[in-house]
Amino acid sequence: MKRWRSSRTTSLPIDARGTVDELLNTLPCGVLSFADDGMVVTVNATLCQMLGYDAGEMEGRHVEQLLTVAGRIFYQTHVFPMVRLHGKAEELFLLFRKKDGTDLGALANVARHERAGVAVNDCAVIEVRERRKYEDQLLRARRDADQANALLKTQAAELETQHRLLQDQAAELEAQSDELRMLNDELQVHSDELVQARQVAEEANRAKSQFLATMSHELRTPLNAIGGYVQLIELGIYGVVTDTQREALDRISRSQRHLLRLINDILNLARIEAGRVEYAVEDMLIANVLANVIPMIEPQMAAAGLTFESTVQPDCVARADQEKVQQVLINLLTNAVKFTTHGGTVSLSATRDEQTGRVMVAVRDTGVGVPADKLAAIFEPFVQVETTHSRRAEGSGLGLAISHDLARGMGGDLTVESEIGAGSTFTLILPLA
Amino acid sequence: MATDVLARNNVKVSGHGTRPMLFAHGFGCDQNMWRYVTPAFEDDYKVVLFDYVGSGRSDAAAYDKDRYSTLEGYAQDVLDVCHGLDLRDVIFVGHSVSSMIGILAANHEPERFARLILVGPSPRYINDAPDYVGGFERSDIEGLLETMDKNYIGWANYLAPAIMQNANRPELGKELTTSFCSTDPVVARQFAEATFYADNRSDLRAVTVPSLILQCSNDIVAPREVGEYLSRELPHSTIRYMQATGHCPHMSAPDETVALIKDYLVAH
Repeated sequence: MKRWRSSRTTSLPIDARGTVDELLNTLPCGVLSFADDGMVVTVNATLCQMLGYDAGEMEGRHVEQLLTVAGRIFYQTHVFPMVRLHGKAEELFLLFRKKDGTDLGALANVARHERAGVAVNDCAVIEVRERRKYEDQLLRARRDADQANALLKTQAAELETQHRLLQDQAAELEAQSDELRMLNDELQVHSDELVQARQVAEEANRAKSQFLATMSHELRTPLNAIGGYVQLIELGIYGVVTDTQREALDRISRSQRHLLRLINDILNLARIEAGRVEYAVEDMLIANVLANVIPMIEPQMAAAGLTFESTVQPDCVARADQEKVQQVLINLLTNAVKFTTHGGTVSLSATRDEQTGRVMVAVRDTGVGVPADKLAAIFEPFVQVETTHSRRAEGSGLGLAISHDLARGMGGDLTVESEIGAGSTFTLILPLA
Repeated sequence: MATDVLARNNVKVSGHGTRPMLFAHGFGCDQNMWRYVTPAFEDDYKVVLFDYVGSGRSDAAAYDKDRYSTLEGYAQDVLDVCHGLDLRDVIFVGHSVSSMIGILAANHEPERFARLILVGPSPRYINDAPDYVGGFERSDIEGLLETMDKNYIGWANYLAPAIMQNANRPELGKELTTSFCSTDPVVARQFAEATFYADNRSDLRAVTVPSLILQCSNDIVAPREVGEYLSRELPHSTIRYMQATGHCPHMSAPDETVALIKDYLVAH
């Protein structure tokens, strides 16, 4: 804003200079002059109108009386020192107090001038309504922004903390991952070793089976020759046979048969283990199988002085190889006869279990029983229960091993329960048809 | 440390005497406010001027919101300057709020101070009915804060940078930013709150350093009742009522101000 200048600098006639008051009163802004002690020297009509005073009421007042209380403090702490020290202050925001007690927000420029040796503070005042509103909004916006900024800082700090925590966890996981990788590598090595070991074992097993199959064949040929020539001698083709000689021939013949059975069993086992056995699986009625088996075993039962009982559920149909099932059951029943003393009982039962989908054929005897420490190994080849029983030597020790393998080969199993002195129960388990 | 404080508080030393006079400016301004008064003392005294941190040309980076949230932080500035220059037997001259800041400093280290000259002092600005008249209601102070916000928004933060970019009149920006003695609105607001919400009445009784109270006529900021209250409550104090009106006699009536201070120093 242009500063009001003294008319002394013009060359207008005195009369024209007398119009300065009129000029002041026509200004669209308020004009106010006050001395250093705050006393009002001049006001224009516009300011009187703005504040609601008559010119007479204004002059001689203290400038503070035209301000609100807050405005007075601001005047004393800011405006007066500034004008006194710097000679002017521009665009001050001041709160005036109108005669009716209401406030008036105004912008003021103040300049300090010396006139006739007296310091006067000249002040131009414009009322601000819209600007005040905008400034209020601006201040509110800035406060909101400051608060938002503070909040952001807090959140950023929190995020930073979480980030560090995550980094720590990631590092820990990385370390664990390294450890796992190492363990995995070790396991891989072990696994490779195991695979190798299994290959070696399988190779060895195949070699063993091959050897057994070959050997059994090679052994059977001379044994058949021995058997054949014993029969020829017994028939008297090579001359009369004395009773003593016949006895000897009988022993040779028994030994030959035993050896042949042993070799057959070995051959069977070897074939099973070599996976060369084929199973003709079909739906078969257990009762039919037992009808074949029981007549074969009954004479032995009677000869041994044993009671035989059988209970068969009529609708027991298994899915299995009938010939193999017969083989297993004959083996189990023969064993029962062998290990049960005179007067004992051998019982056979066949039941079906819908829930497990199995058929169970159990052979129970009241024989010597199997010691607990032998039970686990009873299905291993060449394992025989030590017994004083004279018929022990007759077995090859391969029967149960073969039966066990056959049962499993048909998708079933062979289990045993036994108690020393009370007897044993062998159960052939087969899939239900 | 000493030089740090001297730079931090923009300390200026002048005069030919040895006895130190330490001038502390009031709220809203800086050491420039003493310029009509200090020449009168330079022949006989060592004149020390400074700006509080956050005001004038102090080091704004040293401003600590916590430290300067109460007048104690400002009192520490006074003591820091005393230590930095190893001032003893100090005549402390404080305007307005600096009167109470000087009292706090003198209560911390009474042996360092010889006299306290308190120009327009007030121990509490807000009325405490029924017994104490401070001159203001809390709402008046809130109005002051609003007025300050409005002015600082126009001045320091909004207008000044815009004008400073005006290549044709670079002197304008400089003049405006220095025209308000402390230009940072955050600092100014916090100083205003520390000043006008303070209540130092309970610190008065402990003062052992003799003091002069200069009470102006018609001082809206520190009314006569406040001066009378101080005169009663402040031990070893002398009160002088001034012809000068308003709150800044050292600027509006420097001769009277100088004369009364000299009178007091001669007599005491």
